[in-house]
Amino acid sequence: MNTQTEKDIAANVIKELIALGFLDSTGKTTNVPPTLALPGSPAVDSEPVELLSAELIGVDNPHNLDALKIMRKATPARILMGRCGCRQKTASLLRFLADHAAAVDAVFKDLPETFLEQQKLFQVKTVVRDKDEYLMKPELGKRLDEASRAILLEKCKKNPQVQIIVVDGLSTTSIEANIGDVMPALVQGLMTMGVSVGTPFYVKYGRVGIMDDIAPLLGCEVIVEFIGERPGLITAESMSAYLAYKPTHATIEAERTVISNIHRGGTGPVEAGAHLATVVKQMLDHKAGGVKLAEQVK
Amino acid sequence: MADFHTSIIRSIGIDIGTTTTQFVLSRLTVKNMAPGTLVPRMEITDKDVIYRSKIHFTPIATNNRIDAAGLLALLHDEFEEAGVRPGEIDTGAVIITGETAKKENARAISAQVASLAGDFVVATAGGKLESIIAGKGSGAADYSRNYLCTVANIDIGGGTANIGIFHHGSAIDSCCINVGGRLLQVDPESVRIIAISQPMAAILAGMDLALSVNQRVEFADLDRICQVMATIIGECLGGNSLSELAQQLLMTEPLRHDYQIEAVMISGGVADYVYGDQGWPDPNHGLRHGDIGPLLGREIARLLPAEGHNLIRPTETIRATVIGAGARTVDVSGSTIMVDDARLPLKNIPVALPFVEAFPADSEAIREAVTRSIGSFFAEHELAPLAIGVPGSGYRSFADVQALATGLSQGLAPLHNAGFPLIVIVEADLAKVLGQSLRARNPAAAIICIDQLQVKEGDYIDIGRSIAGGTVVPVVIKSLIFETRQV
Repeated sequence: MNTQTEKDIAANVIKELIALGFLDSTGKTTNVPPTLALPGSPAVDSEPVELLSAELIGVDNPHNLDALKIMRKATPARILMGRCGCRQKTASLLRFLADHAAAVDAVFKDLPETFLEQQKLFQVKTVVRDKDEYLMKPELGKRLDEASRAILLEKCKKNPQVQIIVVDGLSTTSIEANIGDVMPALVQGLMTMGVSVGTPFYVKYGRVGIMDDIAPLLGCEVIVEFIGERPGLITAESMSAYLAYKPTHATIEAERTVISNIHRGGTGPVEAGAHLATVVKQMLDHKAGGVKLAEQVK
Repeated sequence: MADFHTSIIRSIGIDIGTTTTQFVLSRLTVKNMAPGTLVPRMEITDKDVIYRSKIHFTPIATNNRIDAAGLLALLHDEFEEAGVRPGEIDTGAVIITGETAKKENARAISAQVASLAGDFVVATAGGKLESIIAGKGSGAADYSRNYLCTVANIDIGGGTANIGIFHHGSAIDSCCINVGGRLLQVDPESVRIIAISQPMAAILAGMDLALSVNQRVEFADLDRICQVMATIIGECLGGNSLSELAQQLLMTEPLRHDYQIEAVMISGGVADYVYGDQGWPDPNHGLRHGDIGPLLGREIARLLPAEGHNLIRPTETIRATVIGAGARTVDVSGSTIMVDDARLPLKNIPVALPFVEAFPADSEAIREAVTRSIGSFFAEHELAPLAIGVPGSGYRSFADVQALATGLSQGLAPLHNAGFPLIVIVEADLAKVLGQSLRARNPAAAIICIDQLQVKEGDYIDIGRSIAGGTVVPVVIKSLIFETRQV
């Protein structure tokens, strides 16, 4: 494709977007989102659509249904959806769109106040001002703002063996889904091992590296950071736990230990919490994390 | 991640059968199969047979007993040949099968051989269990899993034929028939009868055929006897009503036949003559082992396809049971568990299932159910170690687990007070959190809390010391021990 054709296409697209009201005449995005009334599209059906279960086997007239059931159990992937001619069925498409919407929601939604109250977590935040900045400038998600630093110094127990923090990351949905199970399991596990735990709290607009800012401030040995994973189409509820031993801004990624895929369909949150307690204990014993820890316990 | 290494388990299988005794030594590799960032998931990845003993005749003393001294001497020599010492064997199983299991001292011998072989080698016997072990060793279980079908494995030895039914890899049914290749012993030279076993006497009576020891027997009669035995196997496999003789020779409940058998596999000593070796230079050659095993094999090869069965080849014939016992009885638990190694290994712990399905969310209901279970197992002052099985595989919350821990702690208090460890086997991946929850409530108790295992009420479980850096324990779940009806 030559550059002239590309320019023509771009010009046409911009013209179309202005016509639809997405862009104003200068080419800037409009504040008011236009209703999506594309010419010739049918009226939007106001009735809610009931989605078919993802567990459903959509293959018509299967030769060996038992075999398909076994395959269905083996993976959460979009297999055995059936087809209509050479295309997917409407139900498959709707399921796909719904899962995609859930993934988008997980990134953009704020954690409800009531959730933080229930979990007895207070909130601090990074220097990030809003979600757009959070997404555009990952570096900013690794530093607390000044007000937050002051709050932590005032409210938190100093120099605990273990500091637990909860961070939104890319999925507040996953935080809501898992923290209520994983946190008490971890704390109980640490208590049975005689390990002291600091005051947990929630960090808004945080990235994994926020632990490097917090650990030196509170003087903990091991920091456990629960953070929402980038949501996928299988689940928006998947959460990771990143752990490090006395991290600072000089810490590199190889020095962190991670347990990923904590969700109901992956590593169950309760058992993950218990397992994390064992990992924390190892980090305290070996005074290390990440690859170094893995080498030492080999 | 951290706490797991590849481990090697050395496993032994010893099969003391009606006719032959043999053992195999296997190397089971236990490896973490989860990607690096996930919670470890240890699995048995490789099963290599590293030593196969010679196939010996089982030493039998005269008075309906196994010749214990002879048997131990034989095993001792074979161990030496294999270059292993009992202390180097991690696990495995001794199985006494067929007619030998009926001997008066079978149980004692089985236990004696197990302890000779190693710390965590288990003693088993019983027709139903044997059927399942043989089907796992012959390849029938794998075939049914790989081809998503239902396979019947018939392990035909000297004294018994064990039918195990496998559906998609799992054993779903089994039965044991007192029919085998050495029930009648015949001298190959003179064609005179050397010995007639009790079940053979029943077969002969059913045929109206009068034979006695030292009598010369016609080949035609031997063929008829084998036809009758093959027919009985066919009846048990077929699902129509059983003849009187078949009912008499059946040592267990008959098969349920609530499934469709799609393929049939034969293992055991007789199998070698089902799948080949039938072109004998002279009729006496069929009697070269001093019994009618080869004749029976030939008859089965003719009869089963004629009855419409799809006969497929096993991966093991005469060694199916011993390989099944050695490499296929031991399993590993889930990888996040809590065990007190000082209290392991534990052997022959009965399993109670206080809850039929998922456990209740209320600790009081859990305590009551556990108390009831203990009461049904033991009289008040005669407590013994008991494992509590917790079924259900779905998601459970932290609150649910706390209720379970509280209910179990209270319910199991009598066992704890009697000095026994708290043993819990959970189906869902919850053992570590449950173990820690139990620990928080009982700081001084010995806790054995393992998961990702399916147990049934009345099973027995053996639990070995932890391996792979403490991440998993080897376990042997024994259903249906010594349940075979004695003919």
